Amino acid sequence: MRIGPPAARVGRQVPLAGAGPARPALAGRLRARGLSDPLLAWLFIGPTILLLLAINIFPLLWTIWLSFTNYRANRPNETVEWVGLRNYQRILTSEDIWHTLQVTAHFVCWSIFFQVVIGLGLALLINRQFKGSGFWTTLILLPMMLSPAVVGTFWTYLFQPQAGIFNYIVNFFIGAGDFTMIGDVRLAPWAIVLVDTWMWAPYVMLICLAGLRSIPDYIYEAAEVDRAGPVRTFFSITLPMVLPFLMLAVLFRAIENFKMFDLVVELTSGGPGSTTEVASINLKREAFEKWRTGFSSAFAIILFVTVFGAANIYVKLLNRVKAR
Amino acid sequence: MAEVALERVAKRFGDVQAVAELSLTVGAGELLVLLGASGAGKTTTLRLVAGLERLDAGTVRIAGRDVSRAAPAERDVAFVFQQYSLYPHYSVYDNLAFPLRSPLRRMAEDAIRRRVGEIAETLRIAHKLDSRATQLSGGEMQRVAIGRALVREPACFLMDEPLSSLDAKLREDLRIELKRIQRELGATILYVTHDQIEAMTLGDRIGVLEAGRLIQVGTPRELYERPASVVVARRLGSPPINLLPAALVGQIVPAAATLGVRPEDIRIGTVGLPARVAAVEALGAETVVALDIAGTLLHALISGEADLVPGAGVHLELPRERLIAFDGAGRRVVGAESLPA
Repeated sequence: MRIGPPAARVGRQVPLAGAGPARPALAGRLRARGLSDPLLAWLFIGPTILLLLAINIFPLLWTIWLSFTNYRANRPNETVEWVGLRNYQRILTSEDIWHTLQVTAHFVCWSIFFQVVIGLGLALLINRQFKGSGFWTTLILLPMMLSPAVVGTFWTYLFQPQAGIFNYIVNFFIGAGDFTMIGDVRLAPWAIVLVDTWMWAPYVMLICLAGLRSIPDYIYEAAEVDRAGPVRTFFSITLPMVLPFLMLAVLFRAIENFKMFDLVVELTSGGPGSTTEVASINLKREAFEKWRTGFSSAFAIILFVTVFGAANIYVKLLNRVKAR
Repeated sequence: MAEVALERVAKRFGDVQAVAELSLTVGAGELLVLLGASGAGKTTTLRLVAGLERLDAGTVRIAGRDVSRAAPAERDVAFVFQQYSLYPHYSVYDNLAFPLRSPLRRMAEDAIRRRVGEIAETLRIAHKLDSRATQLSGGEMQRVAIGRALVREPACFLMDEPLSSLDAKLREDLRIELKRIQRELGATILYVTHDQIEAMTLGDRIGVLEAGRLIQVGTPRELYERPASVVVARRLGSPPINLLPAALVGQIVPAAATLGVRPEDIRIGTVGLPARVAAVEALGAETVVALDIAGTLLHALISGEADLVPGAGVHLELPRERLIAFDGAGRRVVGAESLPA
């Protein structure tokens, strides 16, 4: 994004709504006091730029600086040493960090896979506009409207080893008797995938539904007359036309899930062991439990660059798909 | 190409009877135009033949086979929609090849390429085969849509105002081309339009629809000269037919309440009904003269230029053999033109 002085004509284009001769509009009155158009423009956008600088740009730059130091936020009086790239070196060679990234990748990939499949499936079903489809749409969208903390809490109850209904139902069907979801090292990563999918598949559905509704009926009718079966119609009309929407949903969900924190903290707090310790949980521990501020700043920058870079490549791809 | 027959077909949408008791046969190789105002049931009739709507009553036969309950794919019809219904993410070639790649067909890719090439040649879009559907102009898109119907060699073509979204010049070009292609292929076409020029120039026969009912079917000439009712008479001809109270002309036909006279049949001279010139519109090859007879406005079409000025008093001759008489209900009084003058 380019932040520069807005073109001078912006000032001139300020609509003089209600600017009668008796009571000129703000811009008109200021101009009457001898303020030039560029100065006026700066005056209007100045506060916003200051706010952005204070809460976005400055923390980012400061984090970048901290990532090259050994600063610890719990010992503000110690001398801060410049350590160069040592923090980055440590992170990229740390097995813990790689494990954390692996856990994150597993979570992001699988949760998005299931959300896409289920979300698109639901969208196709709801799009048939049967009687009461409005009611079902609302019902399906409910999980998305809940707070992640609430969702985490009640799924913890459902997963509760002794009294949890989820474990009870699974036990009932497989008859093992000791099934537990979040206590098991192999199953815990799937537990967070399951809950996230339950919560966010409706979101993917909503966006896909917007895509499906944008396909005109006559294209389907043309395909019907042209003797295309349902499978061919899906792959040659529905999917290509819904793809830009689906890709957008994937982008949003991937960014969100890459920085997943609240839901996992509520459900497993990263456990058992560190099997569900996604990157942001690890980051929070390094920063606010171990107080390795410099180290965690470097980690945060690495995560930021990864998401930012991946998102940019993805947006280019998305634009190419849309241009087709 | 095959014959399409509709027998007592009906369709209702909620409270609206879109099509009622409609019987019609389109002969093999015939181009039949359904003409009517919007909401007359033209498109619904077409969609009923295609199977895109379900019949409430009646039967549809294509090539003698009852397809009333068959799905669109089983009817072997091709449909050209009013909107450019191309598959937007496909190239022109893939759009044209789409119907041929149906699993119901199992056509070899070689044969498909040849067939698409032929059709693209016919429609003069061969140079656009690699373009994306969305990169075409309106006229090109509609050619591709027509081409997609033509590649199939179906039992019949159904066309729903295929030219209405094009500009006047293109419409004329494509109209002529369409007629040529239809003659070459001997195609059976049921063609819907609200444009009387399209109907007159394209149709082997025209069916006029009004409020879901077919009120007359015949050749363009028949409909023009012997319309069954005031509605049909008004639908064809530009400027439209003049309708005047029979009393104004004098009782020529006993049962007539209204007399219709085509603008080109009115002769302006020195004998006959006295009238006043209201306006003169010179179109170059011909001139439209608006005439006022005791408060009723008539339009006369005169070839060449007319030596008239607004306000001038003139006399009109209405040739008896050209008058069309309608009764009080708007139906034509049969045999009126053969009455002695």
